[in-house]
Amino acid sequence: MASRRRMLLKVIILGDSGYVNRKFSNQYKATIGADFLTKEVQFEDRLFTLQIWDTAGQERFQSLGVAFYRGADCCVLVYDVNVMKSFDNLNNWREEFLIQASPSDPENFPFVVLGNKIDVDGGNSRVVSEKKAKAWCASKGNIPYFETSAKEGFNVDAAFQCIAKNALKNEPEEEIYLPDTIDVAGGRQQRSTGCEC
Amino acid sequence: MIAAATSANNKTVLHLDPNPLLRFPLRFPLSPRSLHFPQFPFYPSSTTTLHSIRLPRLHPSTSHPSVLFCADKSIDLILKSGANQYIDFKSIDASFVCDENGRLKNVPDSRAAIFKDKSLGLTEKNQLMRFFKLVQQHLAAESDDNERISEEDLESPFVEFLKKMRLPPKIKSYGLGIVFCDLLLIWCFLGDASFCAGDVIMLDGIILYAIALADYDQDNVEVCEDVLKTKDGIDRLALYNSSVGRFPNALGAFIYPIYGHGELPQAFCRRAAVKGCIHVLRMPVIALLMDKCTGHYKGVRLSSGQDLFSHQLILDPSFIVPLPLASSPPDSLRENLQILGLGDVKRKVARGICITRRSLRPDTSNFLVVYPPRSLYPEQVTSIRALQIGSELAVCPSGMFVLYFSTLCHDATQGKKSLNAAMDSLLTLPESAHPESITIVHSENSAEVKPTLLWKALYIQELNMDQFETISSTPMPDGNLNYNNMLDVALKLFQKIYPHEEVFPETVSPENPEDDNEFGLES
Repeated sequence: MASRRRMLLKVIILGDSGYVNRKFSNQYKATIGADFLTKEVQFEDRLFTLQIWDTAGQERFQSLGVAFYRGADCCVLVYDVNVMKSFDNLNNWREEFLIQASPSDPENFPFVVLGNKIDVDGGNSRVVSEKKAKAWCASKGNIPYFETSAKEGFNVDAAFQCIAKNALKNEPEEEIYLPDTIDVAGGRQQRSTGCEC
Repeated sequence: MIAAATSANNKTVLHLDPNPLLRFPLRFPLSPRSLHFPQFPFYPSSTTTLHSIRLPRLHPSTSHPSVLFCADKSIDLILKSGANQYIDFKSIDASFVCDENGRLKNVPDSRAAIFKDKSLGLTEKNQLMRFFKLVQQHLAAESDDNERISEEDLESPFVEFLKKMRLPPKIKSYGLGIVFCDLLLIWCFLGDASFCAGDVIMLDGIILYAIALADYDQDNVEVCEDVLKTKDGIDRLALYNSSVGRFPNALGAFIYPIYGHGELPQAFCRRAAVKGCIHVLRMPVIALLMDKCTGHYKGVRLSSGQDLFSHQLILDPSFIVPLPLASSPPDSLRENLQILGLGDVKRKVARGICITRRSLRPDTSNFLVVYPPRSLYPEQVTSIRALQIGSELAVCPSGMFVLYFSTLCHDATQGKKSLNAAMDSLLTLPESAHPESITIVHSENSAEVKPTLLWKALYIQELNMDQFETISSTPMPDGNLNYNNMLDVALKLFQKIYPHEEVFPETVSPENPEDDNEFGLES
């Protein structure tokens, strides 16, 4: 039971509206109608399922419930390299996450930072340099940093590999945090009450 | 839930909340420094701080002892809406019912459990078995089948039916019973007839109050405000029966959300957000905008000064809209209230919370205790329920236990009396408060020391509701253990606003994360 749960990693993506949502990847579904999506990642001969949670737009008015943050194995902070404010707000998002999710070891909780939209206008509208972003990441306990171009899918896979790897670092703790919960969805299938969603 | 259902039907929903957290109406926040009480129909009747304890940061927890039947309507709705993706549940390990001697008796949840139960006599086992069999036959039978319980019986009070079914004069007077034990038919004499009669009554107690969860004293028609009909009693038994074993790894009939009931609104809020609902927290509404000519609702004014207009306004029950004197004739209001099944009954629920460091039972930490009417004191007319939840459900710090109490009452005095009686029977007051009493308890009953109370609070909640025209109020958590009434009203409300829309219509796949393995999926 525990091993099955361990294969599933909850990853939440945070960042200012507009940079998270329209997004980090146009491979990523539009926010409205999206819930979370899953991505299979192979890491060291094991197959992991990343369950990637979108903010569903609830971050626009700081209205994300604490339930959203709970049990996250990794937090991905996203900003738009073309918008300074989205970079400045990374710190707020990181702190918000640490307060809301209250991980047991906040110093070592795995974050990943993504600088997104590097392809916009051929890179001419860029205002946050890679150096500056890396310096911030280094100051926050060497957060891994990736630059992605959602449009071309550039670096997206590398980022996900890293997310899986970092999420796994926290794995031993998970056993404490994951009690045996009731499989309500499984029960539904068994009973086939016809309430598939 | 209404926001999620409305958003799922592609309607525009704006969710405004003056509070900084997504919450339930009547959330009861436990904060290290103080207790905050919402302002409106909810007021503290007495708050006693017995010990100052430092509580670590707690998640908002709801104030009422709610559990969910596995086969509950709310579970079905949670599944149908997809909100189950955001909530985890754990089992409530056991249910107990208090007998007339103040002992807690385990409530058997299945025929196997009846068989194994050591506290039940063989006669009782047999009676319960037969009774469950009868109920099962009734439920399985076709409508005109003669295995069904007769219409006449179904309309009779459940307590009469129980007496009729399970107390043949022979057993009552002679203490004689037929018992199945390991497939051997044994005739068995129970020497003490009075013991037998007492326990048979107790058996009624188990079914009436712990499984069917009746509120009022069903044996005493004069004080019983809500006589449980056989039909409803059987329905409740059926719910109990179908709840046991619905989910493979659930132990009994009840489950409880990890992190408490505050998770449910968050799950529905996320569901709503996923469907396009916009949530704005920390945004009080300062005024309602009404049409001057018609007196109808037009919109709201926010504390930011912005005016927003909408067709419908749905309020949580902590907001009370004063009825305008001119508009909205009271007749139509009454009609609306009746549509919503709220009738004219004005009741109160007394609720209490206690925190302890030790479980009431050494072997289990999450369980339900039911005190049937008259089990604590002769004038007790309503059932009192207590729910103990341990720290593994993340509603309290590790090493502590939360006890939620509730009972229906007419006034604060009655409600407090009931809750205090239940608390006193389960808990010991701390030494600092009553140094003399603690010594008595220790010397008297050293084998079974009750957990010491660390902190408690009591309050009385009025059950009421206002509703008119295009402004609707959602119901508040009621005296029931589950959300069925709330849910029914919410569904009726939804149907009234959108008569032609389905609640959580089935949608095609991208909803389902299992179908989303392709990362390139674009919706």
